[in-house]
Amino acid sequence: MEAVLWYVLTGTRGGTNRVRILRALDERPRNANQLAEDLELDYKTVRHHLDVLEDNGVLEDSGDDYGAIYLPTDQARHHWDTVEKIIDQVE
Amino acid sequence: MAVLIDAMRVLSALNVLLLLGLGYVWGRNFYRFRSKHTLGLLVFAVLLLAENALSIVFFVFNFEGLTAWVTDPSFVPTIAQQAMLTLRALEFAGVVFLTWVTWD
Repeated sequence: MEAVLWYVLTGTRGGTNRVRILRALDERPRNANQLAEDLELDYKTVRHHLDVLEDNGVLEDSGDDYGAIYLPTDQARHHWDTVEKIIDQVE
Repeated sequence: MAVLIDAMRVLSALNVLLLLGLGYVWGRNFYRFRSKHTLGLLVFAVLLLAENALSIVFFVFNFEGLTAWVTDPSFVPTIAQQAMLTLRALEFAGVVFLTWVTWD
């Protein structure tokens, strides 16, 4: 999991925005629309990053289609010190 | 077989382009995160970039007459050129795949 976190958050082009999304969801779970608004990102960009983070087991959703709320998985919580270390580097 | 050497040149040039892109992404991320992981990716990209740039210097700019040696079948037989090309092609495939996973 730790290697996945480093890779998905710092090894790819969209890493910085994924870190911002993760930080926002740690504060308070939100849906894709709220994230796009709060982070001033394109809705499609947010959707893409959410899918990548879900595929990698970092996030899970509540399953209500469009209104689905996203939050960190237990697995990600378990390695949250790594996430925090990465988040700290972004502002 | 000059065509084998030409293919090597083309693959080296494509590798340089892709590695510049990867170096840009990983360099920017390293500037941002300062993590050991991103540093590793960046160093990897820089070294592989150097390898391909050197290959272009050797086989395109005829450094010290090297190209003439490599393209002359009496010095480097076709089968040896094919082997060199195969290695370059595998490297290119690896870099393409890495670019694909890094670009999202």
